[in-house]
Amino acid sequence: MGTFTRRDVLKLGAAAAAAGLGFPAVLRAQAKEIPMLGLWSFTGAFSDVGPVLDRGMKLALDERGMKIQGKTIKYITRDDETKAGSATRRAEEAIDADGVKYIIGPWSSGVALAVSEVAKRKKVFHYFSGGTEDISGARCHRYSFQWAASPYTAAKTVVDTFMQANPKAKRWHLLVADYAFGWSVEKYVKEVGKTHGIEFVGADRHPLGEREFSNYVTKAAGNKPDVVVMINFGLDAVTGAREIFNFGLTPKIPLIMTWSSGVEELVQLAPEIRENIWVGSNFYYTADTPVAREFVKSYQAKFGGPPGYAPAAAYGMTRMLLHAMDKAKSTEVPDVIRACEGLEVDDLVGRMRVDPKTHQTLRPYFFMRCKTKAAMKNPMDFADIIATGSTPLPAEYAACKDIGAL
Amino acid sequence: MKTSLLVSQILNGLATGMLYALMGIGLSIITGVLNIPNFAHGALFALGAYLLYSVIQLVGNFWLALLLAPLGVGLLGVLIEYGGIRPLYRAGHDYQLLLTFGLSLIVTESIIVVWSPVGMSQLPPPLLRGGVDLGITFYPKYRLFVMVAAALLVLGAWLFLEKTRYGAIMRAGIEDKEMVSLLGIDIHRLFTAAFALGCGLAGIAGALTAPIRGLNPWMGVDMLGIAFVVVALAGLGNLLGSIVAGLLVGVAQSLVALFWPEASVAVIFAVMAAILLVRPQGLFGIR
Repeated sequence: MGTFTRRDVLKLGAAAAAAGLGFPAVLRAQAKEIPMLGLWSFTGAFSDVGPVLDRGMKLALDERGMKIQGKTIKYITRDDETKAGSATRRAEEAIDADGVKYIIGPWSSGVALAVSEVAKRKKVFHYFSGGTEDISGARCHRYSFQWAASPYTAAKTVVDTFMQANPKAKRWHLLVADYAFGWSVEKYVKEVGKTHGIEFVGADRHPLGEREFSNYVTKAAGNKPDVVVMINFGLDAVTGAREIFNFGLTPKIPLIMTWSSGVEELVQLAPEIRENIWVGSNFYYTADTPVAREFVKSYQAKFGGPPGYAPAAAYGMTRMLLHAMDKAKSTEVPDVIRACEGLEVDDLVGRMRVDPKTHQTLRPYFFMRCKTKAAMKNPMDFADIIATGSTPLPAEYAACKDIGAL
Repeated sequence: MKTSLLVSQILNGLATGMLYALMGIGLSIITGVLNIPNFAHGALFALGAYLLYSVIQLVGNFWLALLLAPLGVGLLGVLIEYGGIRPLYRAGHDYQLLLTFGLSLIVTESIIVVWSPVGMSQLPPPLLRGGVDLGITFYPKYRLFVMVAAALLVLGAWLFLEKTRYGAIMRAGIEDKEMVSLLGIDIHRLFTAAFALGCGLAGIAGALTAPIRGLNPWMGVDMLGIAFVVVALAGLGNLLGSIVAGLLVGVAQSLVALFWPEASVAVIFAVMAAILLVRPQGLFGIR
């Protein structure tokens, strides 16, 4: 360190500072590049989904050869660690230092609400898929969009279809994750259930991240229901389903997983456990649309197994963004936002339309029935789609009263 | 309140409580003898579950897997103590503690590398599938097995510690390490044995839990917290205390779930806080 003087350090520091100041300006001059951020969890509670979300978004961008309107798309990812603090910090860094104007993700609803605030403040485009209805509801604003179906749409599809197939199953027991998403879906399931004359013989809320479901299962069994309905997600849903099977409730009585990620959850269960489980999801890989068929084919060819809700959502959101850019004939955020509002396409899940008043994507929700072990044609052949539903949230429930200005 | 529901909940509490007790005993032995809280205890619990799964995949025999999984984790414990904790003995407790914390991360990430982060299910052996009609309620066979198996293991641990010479040495080591060393006993071998035993108990707890809770790389995280609660409640190094504390926590969790499910996790820590406020040394502890 003898020849490295304080003066040299100061010079280096000055050079670095100048470069730092000039850097965004350098980037702004590079108008030929469109940086897009995939905000995924590579560590933390949702780290198992991060890599597959990355795959989905990349697939959608690769379809366009990583180019849009003559400009190169620069796809970057940042690890949100499934934490609001890390997500917002990394998103802001990406916006400030890398010039990101388009954010897809994150996966967790709680984290998404925080990221949505960043999008509003920094005026960048943000597309999210998840269970919180606040993104297109109480916390709506011009910069965030919601890809997943409204929890109302989900509840209506699930309840209506199930009752059509099982008209005598009137005693329902609910097991709900105790946070905003769970409460919303529970509210709508009860609303729609009333119209079918369903008697809710019990409703228990479990803490998020619960691992000991035996207590809830014995309570459920005690109420002698015709159906057990779970409104939870991920590992909570998988653990709950396993325990419901262990205690002998399924397959005797059906279990409904109201808002499931489909493949990602079902693959963690054994075929014996899956018997008589009915699953609602935003995507299932046997969806019969041209875009879905192509997507599933490419995904399977590249990665071996079929895509679940997570990569499909990342893929779907990126496609909607690209459609909006096509419609706007521009890559400027305000133009793309205006083009996205009212955008109507036949895409991944069928007919999809973005409601300009709430930024909610109106689209079909899937309802499946799991197959018995004997009926499975291959180890990933978990279920058949038996219905889809697209009933949008009725206006009287809409919490987004004024989406605001750009 | 239906009696059948109450009985089911108490059985649930006893089953989970037995597993908590196993975790607590293992952690208590390590903390008592080596004087370091083993932050890797949860990760080793998870490893036990995964080893069970893999052995079943390889040989198709649940019982063999139930034997090999804790042996594997115990062996890893020997390696950790000999290669990691012992060299740091001179550096102080803080470094040994940091080592166990680092190991918890390494073990969890290794599980992800070897088995993938996607969760899996492990069905109980065919003999233990389904349930029995206990008259008052219908209860899964496997959970009854876990209750019995865990109780036998706890009894075995108690017999070892209370009735064998080596167990006496271990208990003496918890009481007064220096005196044990002065009496001419190889204190280092004692540490290795204690650590390996503690790890093995975590491993078998994990293996027993796999058919109930399934497998995922973070399955040890909440178990670690509960193990610490059990040790704190029991009083350091106290075997009987760990059993009572484990069962207390398990049953409290189950009964609270009857009336106030949202608080069933929080109640564990509330009970610990309440008891420690009155008796800081734990239920049975002396220091």
